[in-house]
Amino acid sequence: MMAALLRRERRRDALLPLLSLLLVALVLFMGRLEPLFHAAFPQLETPVYARESFWRLTLDHLVLVLVSSLISVSVGVSAGLFVTRRTGREFEPLVSALAAIGQTFPPAAVLAIVVPLAGFGFVPTIVALTLYGLLPVVQNTITGLRTVPADTLEAARGTGMSARQILWRVELPLAMRVIIAGVRVSVIINIGTATIGSTVGAQSLGTPIIAGLVGDNIAYVIQGAVLVGLLAIVSDLSFERLERRYRIGGEATD
Amino acid sequence: MIELQGLTKTYGDKTVVSDISLRVERGEFSVLIGPSGCGKSTTLRMINRLIPLTSGRILLGDEDVTRLPAEQLRRRIGYAIQSIGLFPHWTVADNIAVVPNLLKWPSARIASRVDELLDLFHLDAGEFRDKYPHQLSGGQAQRVGVARALAADPEVLLMDEPFGAVDPLTREVLQNEMRRVHEQTGTTVIFVTHDMDEALKLASRIALLDAGRLVQYDRPIELLTAPAEAFVSDFIGKADLGLKLLSRRWVHQYQQAATTSGDAPHHWETDAQGHPTCLHGGRPTADVPPRVAVTDDWTATPGMTMKEALSRMVWYRVGVLPVIDDAGRLIGEVTLEGVMGRQP
Repeated sequence: MMAALLRRERRRDALLPLLSLLLVALVLFMGRLEPLFHAAFPQLETPVYARESFWRLTLDHLVLVLVSSLISVSVGVSAGLFVTRRTGREFEPLVSALAAIGQTFPPAAVLAIVVPLAGFGFVPTIVALTLYGLLPVVQNTITGLRTVPADTLEAARGTGMSARQILWRVELPLAMRVIIAGVRVSVIINIGTATIGSTVGAQSLGTPIIAGLVGDNIAYVIQGAVLVGLLAIVSDLSFERLERRYRIGGEATD
Repeated sequence: MIELQGLTKTYGDKTVVSDISLRVERGEFSVLIGPSGCGKSTTLRMINRLIPLTSGRILLGDEDVTRLPAEQLRRRIGYAIQSIGLFPHWTVADNIAVVPNLLKWPSARIASRVDELLDLFHLDAGEFRDKYPHQLSGGQAQRVGVARALAADPEVLLMDEPFGAVDPLTREVLQNEMRRVHEQTGTTVIFVTHDMDEALKLASRIALLDAGRLVQYDRPIELLTAPAEAFVSDFIGKADLGLKLLSRRWVHQYQQAATTSGDAPHHWETDAQGHPTCLHGGRPTADVPPRVAVTDDWTATPGMTMKEALSRMVWYRVGVLPVIDDAGRLIGEVTLEGVMGRQP
């Protein structure tokens, strides 16, 4: 079983550089594929999105994801830490419920609420993405910290570690794999969801998709969607590698 | 030296530990024992304040440590528990080095201390230093757990049923090792168990608790021969009291000169090096031959318990065992009459 697992991991490891290369190539040289798209969609006048360069769109997309994820992670991990400490224990149901509401709320609805308050563009998109990405981080932080064995904590207290030392030296390292898994889910969700930011004027890889939908240009939709998809897969594979680094010996994966 | 003065723990109006006072001298191996729920674990955990005490005082040496910050206190007190609780993300060396690290020892001193402790527990330092806990057997993990508790030369070592979760064979080995380690290090130990045989094997003093109250605190032999109240003898068990007593007696206490002359009712034959080879007579029944060869198993050593010596006599159906030294030479004998003849 272990051998099969390792084989699968190796195969995925080989996939990562390959797909990354493909992603970079497509971002930089989408224009070169014009003959291909032209052949596929002869009825379209401009079969490759050209109002903005794809690398600019990708960069903007990444900034949206990065900023919202950073906020999600810092808020989510802090909230998870708080409710697993003695002082914050009573707040756990409340925090879990709030995070769950954040995720059940459709991002489009969040945009509809935030746009009138904060205007168009970057800010409402960040708010929507942050709320949307919060739940997996909060949940996994709580789960990760809860699964640290009680006897390990007892031993840690018995050796004379302070609460802070126990947190940094024992609890967080042992919970790290589960926390990273939460961040992974959150980031992947946000890579996909960031596209809707384009409906309120935040530039992203959603921009060609929206333009394609509005202007009946299926090629634009494909170009945007393929890049978003590749971005998500590459991020997912990278996170998997990172998670693996925090695997504690003997622990099963997946 | 550690002294508990009037240690009490109440939860609401329920008293779990009631006014326990006892003094453990330096180098002593003190065992807290009693039925489940008697408060022995709670008492132990109050000593390093994993459970805050309701009232009472604790003296470590001459120092009152009752008000000392718990973390500081715990770094001076070793703590080993049944579930061991090794840190799974750290190597054996890192695990052992926890307290020295907290005390900010220089790294060279920590490294040599780790090797010294692995050595003390007969774990090859080169092999085990960099292993992770999941690569250890139960017995090895427990040794590392005790090594971790001993790492910073604690003034007292607290052990909470440390061998409760291992198989009987490993348990026996670990008990023997604990005896040896205690003799070698001279650490003051307070050890919690519910197993009387374990207590008799390890303790220099036993504190028997019942319903949160200290019933008797004495040397093991006193507990067996001079129980303070009926509960003591009930708890020890009357059925094998004699055997329990013998488990605290050693062969060298019963040893007498070996007869080698042919006129005695039984006598030994030895080879040129002085190893016993043959026993003439000495068997209680008539159906066994008058002359039998000595095998490795039916010998006794001075450090063996009389319980084990007696068990060998019964098993091999002989009334006498040769006592041999480390080189296997005959240095005396113990007899069934000798076991019976001595006052308990």
